[in-house]
Amino acid sequence: MSKIKNWYMQIYHKLFHLDDRLLLIIVGSIAGMCSGLAAVALRLSLEHVFEWLHPFRQYGWAFVLPAVGAVLSSFYLEKIAREGAGHGVPEVIYSVSRYGGLLRFRSSYSRLIASFLTIGSGGSAGPEAPVVMSGSAIGSNLAKFLGLNDRQRITLVGCGTAGAIAAIFNAPIAGLVFSVEVILGEWKFVNIIPIAIAAVAGTQVSHAIIPEQVIFNHIPFAVSYNDIFPSICLAGVTALISIVFTKTLRQTKKIAQKTSLSFWSKALLGGCTVGLIGIYMPVVLGEGYHFIQSMISGTFSMGVFVIFVAVFAKIFATAITLGWGGSGGIFAPSLLIGSLIGIFFHKFILLIFPNVEIAKEGAYALFGMTGIISGVMQAPLTGIFLIVEITGGYETILPLILVSSISSTMSHYIEPASFYFKELIERGQFLRPGTDERILADLNLGELIETGYDTFSENMVFRDFIEALKSSNQNFFPVIEDDTGVYKGVIQISAIRKYVLDPGVYDMIFLNQIMDTDVLTASLENGLQEVLDMMENNNMDTIPVVEHERFVGMISKNRILDLYRRELIMQTSVY
Amino acid sequence: MNYTLLHIFRNTPFGRETFLQSLYFCKTIHAYPVVYIPKTDKFLMYFPNDAVQIDLDNSYLFSPKTAKKHVLELFDYMQIAPQFYMPKNFTASSLPDIPANFDYLCCPRSVSDLSSKIGLGHIGPKVRRIIKHATFPVLIASPVFKPWKSISVFFGGSVNAMNALRLGLKLALSSGLPLDVFTLLEKKDESYYENFIENQDFPETIKQLIRQWHFYKKSQFDKMLYEVPHDSLIVLGAYGHGIIKEFLLGSKMEKIQSTVMNNLLITGPYCSISL
Repeated sequence: MSKIKNWYMQIYHKLFHLDDRLLLIIVGSIAGMCSGLAAVALRLSLEHVFEWLHPFRQYGWAFVLPAVGAVLSSFYLEKIAREGAGHGVPEVIYSVSRYGGLLRFRSSYSRLIASFLTIGSGGSAGPEAPVVMSGSAIGSNLAKFLGLNDRQRITLVGCGTAGAIAAIFNAPIAGLVFSVEVILGEWKFVNIIPIAIAAVAGTQVSHAIIPEQVIFNHIPFAVSYNDIFPSICLAGVTALISIVFTKTLRQTKKIAQKTSLSFWSKALLGGCTVGLIGIYMPVVLGEGYHFIQSMISGTFSMGVFVIFVAVFAKIFATAITLGWGGSGGIFAPSLLIGSLIGIFFHKFILLIFPNVEIAKEGAYALFGMTGIISGVMQAPLTGIFLIVEITGGYETILPLILVSSISSTMSHYIEPASFYFKELIERGQFLRPGTDERILADLNLGELIETGYDTFSENMVFRDFIEALKSSNQNFFPVIEDDTGVYKGVIQISAIRKYVLDPGVYDMIFLNQIMDTDVLTASLENGLQEVLDMMENNNMDTIPVVEHERFVGMISKNRILDLYRRELIMQTSVY
Repeated sequence: MNYTLLHIFRNTPFGRETFLQSLYFCKTIHAYPVVYIPKTDKFLMYFPNDAVQIDLDNSYLFSPKTAKKHVLELFDYMQIAPQFYMPKNFTASSLPDIPANFDYLCCPRSVSDLSSKIGLGHIGPKVRRIIKHATFPVLIASPVFKPWKSISVFFGGSVNAMNALRLGLKLALSSGLPLDVFTLLEKKDESYYENFIENQDFPETIKQLIRQWHFYKKSQFDKMLYEVPHDSLIVLGAYGHGIIKEFLLGSKMEKIQSTVMNNLLITGPYCSISL
């Protein structure tokens, strides 16, 4: 036993004395592979359950299937896993920005199971956000298991995310870009290499298990200059639809939160609604990849009006699924909505200008997908690389860049926060590295407090105080009660100058007569931002900190500035 | 020093008993209780290397309108200034973050006992998880309010046990209550355990603070538990092993909790106590 232990300890120490980057690459690739496995497991199980349920969908009662899935999913999340519903991406971003990427172990599987139940039964949601949550939690827990520090853990969270996205879409570059652009929010040399390798590892795992795994087949499109102007117009349309989609998702969730039904009643109601829509409009059910494929390949047979209705039906069904108790993400619904808009736009142009020579409708489906992804997530690079990689269509890169840039810019102009960030921004918890909010949040109030101040009795005669003053380098002198040590006030040098210059009063006054009792005090409960606001509003450079009526120390602007600079340098360092 | 104890309030008669115990603990050692009245049945504590979710049962959400009133009444009864904790950060809308920078935590009883065994505690994996990661000692209150008149430290010679001894000494100093040490002679003789004190700072002061050091043979674990004063606070160190290690190696902590009715104060492996 002791030999095994020694052997383990030797391996452990050797591994941890490796170069930091090498260690991250090794552990990151493991995180990428594990995330890839999780993603593949979800994808395969969704395919199988969809196939298995397919014959039942012809029956009238099939509308209850999404309801059953939603009820089971919300029951599982609420009562067994005890996690909230939703996609979990804001939770990952929050954890990265606030707690060094610490995520619960249960998150590595709970969202997978819940989204399998929701999407497999026909709920309108995507499996991508749950695999992101799962991959991130795998990365975080690997770091926890190996006892890595916060920075290394954040990189591994990114590795998990990249591996998951790369595996589910067979798109390693999109995995890397999504991880850095959306989850981490910082392009650092130290992060990019392990994340890139994790993305490749995730893709390879996916390839090994499902060799024929391309989600959307590559179809070559001939894109010409004639497509530039329509692409720009399409970008505007996708930006508007992105805003509608985002707002509908949020409003539906708010309505559900205000409704006083139990969680399973909400899930039942939401699921039945989606099921009913699905009877008339099957395109809204599930993640909808095969519909997207038929739109790209030009075999989608719906008419213009039906496509137009389908766009809003899908938006509504997704909002109901996710807002009323189902679990899943918005990635796949965004792709479907985008492709619907793309072909609607294509058909609409041909209706007005029948002789115009533009690319096939499949190309416009790709432009639409990019537009919606970029608009909803406000992550233009993710939008471009994802579509290029999953369709293999580099010939469409120019219009894709145009649509992505315009759509994300327009939607940012109308709605400054993306779907993933909105909730965090509203809670004041969107803390990207190097920003003022993040630096202030990372500064610990306890670290800022200057202790070591001598306190003085309120009954001290002024002459004794003057003697103490001679050998002190303090500018502030806290005054406390003799018996209890309760803080009574503070004496500032500037405020007692007139007494200092008049030796006649030295034996006539006591500190409780000249101390300032109106000086605002901070407590350890206050956040740094609150303390700064207090100092700013009251024109103070230094503030006493008092806890449970006891003097703790002083916080000064100089100290805050020193630590602010140190933190800023650390957060904005290239490495 | 302003020590604080976090108490998660349950607005039920059992909850009142536990809260009285927390208040008594704070009053005795001159700490400040901070009360959190939960609005959701779960919350997260982010420790330096783990995020621990604490799942409460529905009794913690019972009658929220009267909860604060009941807390204030009990604060008033024990003549302690009330202090409440309101969560500022949320991981998800129904998942508040509770900071892990308190000096003590009164473990919510719903995660530390089985409702079928009122009075007989059960540590369980959830409490072990808290103990394993907590940087502060965890108080497992007795089911009913039970003032303690002495402090009993279980000292087995490990690093955690040394932490527990230091904590016991600290509590004895701040409360002025007598301190007894209980040691099970598992591997070495009495002098081996007594030598631990010699290696500490201020060994003479420590010796003066210890009222009596009880030694028991390895087979006398039950006898030792029986001889612990019924009205003492038991302080012990624990590793917070998971369910597998507990199954393989057994758990002394579980045995203690299910045998004695005293209040327990447990220090985990990340809990560093200095005198």
